Amino acid sequence: MWLAALLAILGMGTDSPLTGWWMAGLDLAGGQLRFAIAIEKTKSGLSGRLCNGTDCQPLSRVALRGDTVVFEMGDYAAAISATRRGDSLVGTYHNVGSRGPRVIPFRAAKGRWPAGPAADSLLGRWDATFIQDWQTSPRVFVLRNGKAGLEGTVISNSGDYGLFWGQVSADSFALSHFDGSFVYLLTGRLSGDTLRGTFHAGLRTQTPWIAVRSTGAPHLTPPLQVIAADTAAPFRFSFPDLNGVRLDQSDPRFVGKVVVIDIFGTWCPTCHDAAPTLVQLYRDYHSKGLEMLGLAYEVSGDPGIDGKLVRRYQEKFGIPFPLLLAGTNDPEAAAASQPQLRGVIAFPTTIFLGRDGRVRQIHAGFYGPATGAQYDRLVTEFREEIERLLKER
Amino acid sequence: MEAEVKCARPGALLAALLAGLLALFQIDRLSGQVPGDLARERAEWADWLRTAPTSPFAALAQTPVGSGITLGPGNADVPLAGVALTRVTEESEGVYLESGGDRRILPRNRGTPLGNYLLRLTGPARQSTLAVYGKPTGVRAPTYFPYDRSLVITASLDPPARPGPQRLLTLEGVVVEAVAAGSVAVPLGAVKASLQVMRIPDPESGESDLMIYFRDETNGDGSYPAGRFLLLTPAGGGKYRLDFNRARNPFCAYSTVYACPAPWPGNAIAAPVRAGEQYHAASGH
Repeated sequence: MWLAALLAILGMGTDSPLTGWWMAGLDLAGGQLRFAIAIEKTKSGLSGRLCNGTDCQPLSRVALRGDTVVFEMGDYAAAISATRRGDSLVGTYHNVGSRGPRVIPFRAAKGRWPAGPAADSLLGRWDATFIQDWQTSPRVFVLRNGKAGLEGTVISNSGDYGLFWGQVSADSFALSHFDGSFVYLLTGRLSGDTLRGTFHAGLRTQTPWIAVRSTGAPHLTPPLQVIAADTAAPFRFSFPDLNGVRLDQSDPRFVGKVVVIDIFGTWCPTCHDAAPTLVQLYRDYHSKGLEMLGLAYEVSGDPGIDGKLVRRYQEKFGIPFPLLLAGTNDPEAAAASQPQLRGVIAFPTTIFLGRDGRVRQIHAGFYGPATGAQYDRLVTEFREEIERLLKER
Repeated sequence: MEAEVKCARPGALLAALLAGLLALFQIDRLSGQVPGDLARERAEWADWLRTAPTSPFAALAQTPVGSGITLGPGNADVPLAGVALTRVTEESEGVYLESGGDRRILPRNRGTPLGNYLLRLTGPARQSTLAVYGKPTGVRAPTYFPYDRSLVITASLDPPARPGPQRLLTLEGVVVEAVAAGSVAVPLGAVKASLQVMRIPDPESGESDLMIYFRDETNGDGSYPAGRFLLLTPAGGGKYRLDFNRARNPFCAYSTVYACPAPWPGNAIAAPVRAGEQYHAASGH
């Protein structure tokens, strides 16, 4: 008796309630993404498959810990953890993102999702327009009846989103694609000869769309290329100092000098970390021909307010070189004020100019003293670069 | 009928009084108590910071690939104990990892082990950023202002003043092409702030999030000086929920490995927002 109970807990009993088909779902903010999980008994325990219609892929592991079952999807460092409550499972899907954990509520019940064919009026190729952020982008839907009911895919300019599968109810449909990492749900409704609906990506992203039958004319276009910033041109600047006096690169204090320019903001704590180091470098090399300059990108854009903040910053760190009010910290405004540094939006950024005023090196960001070896390395690099440039005539 | 009403009045009055007291008690209790879903979220976040291989507390370096960087021995750009000299270079077809005679493409938006370390390449092509992670160290659990349910706000998105893509830094200090999604009018006490909302893509998941990077009067005085991030959650009917109790610090608050994103213009709230994540300079970097 106790052995049977133990086997049941381990999910290894012949009539384990965990084996078989589960109607699984992820509860997104705008609806349920449905998929299936199939659990089978193996010699060493349990194995599982995650299915979108007839498209199944193996789970890397099915583990039982007490009344918690864990479905692991190793390819994506993702897992579903759920508590067994009779014939249902309640828990979460989570994986490790680079910005934090990605967590979506999960639930499942024993059985198979109902599935059936869609009417011909839904099937075929549709030219869709996604509407997001007051802008539109094209997609193509291909819908067909497969062995497990309605299925299809969504195609964008850069490729397709994999197989979608789901249910139809009269004129409405909900198609899902969940592979352990990508979480997509396409919901829509046919009204006359137009499809309207929402594309859900992950827990929170919702994109309304509208689609009409494809005429055969091309609907998709090639993707736009991201253009790299040009940082090779000579450096010019002209901004007011804290007394309102405009200073530019032709000022005698800069001509023929090695110049280090600190792009900073008083709002930026990493800039506060960098300031004492820059002051030290200035003290060490100024007599040998080094000049420095701080370009402040502040929040308000009001010289009165910004000037006060920058002056306080100057006093706090005992900064002996000029600090200029270069503008607001809007990335495009910053780029516009320095056309040759288009795309520079990291704060702080350190720019090294040779004696001829040309940009020789740009360093985005700053490793503070708390990073230990990284900080030491950075300071050494800065010193080496300054010394190298000072030797140039 | 009339008599019944008269008879009922003292009882109704008492009931109303009791209900009122109960409601007052309830509001007081609820305004201080963190709801279960938020408590779970915070526990998951703390756990992620403590254990995730890509936690900011595990980050050793985050640097643009630019014209190439080296990893490995002491004289490398990023010194990594026990790693042979490894070169990372960006070419037209992608970013390569080269060590000895071995040369391979470094996949984007995915962790790649290198000895005891983890590499992660992000950012758009030709502006790639390489992050290097070790084991999480010096982890500090985030702390929060007391829960304030009056700072859970539902709002609609108004069209953006300047539509289209904008290149900016994410909360983890990586360049992305974001899209201006509009603005929300947020009533905060006597102040009605209009906050710019950006759609920030997550190339890892193919998703995107509506985010606000805002500053307020607690910055530098209880909260992070550079500002905090807030996610918008769809609330149905084209509306969004903004829960300032969920405001979070950018990663540069945890480690100087990360570049700080520039505050977004106009997103300064002229009132203290005493909700969400705190920042203690003494224990900070």
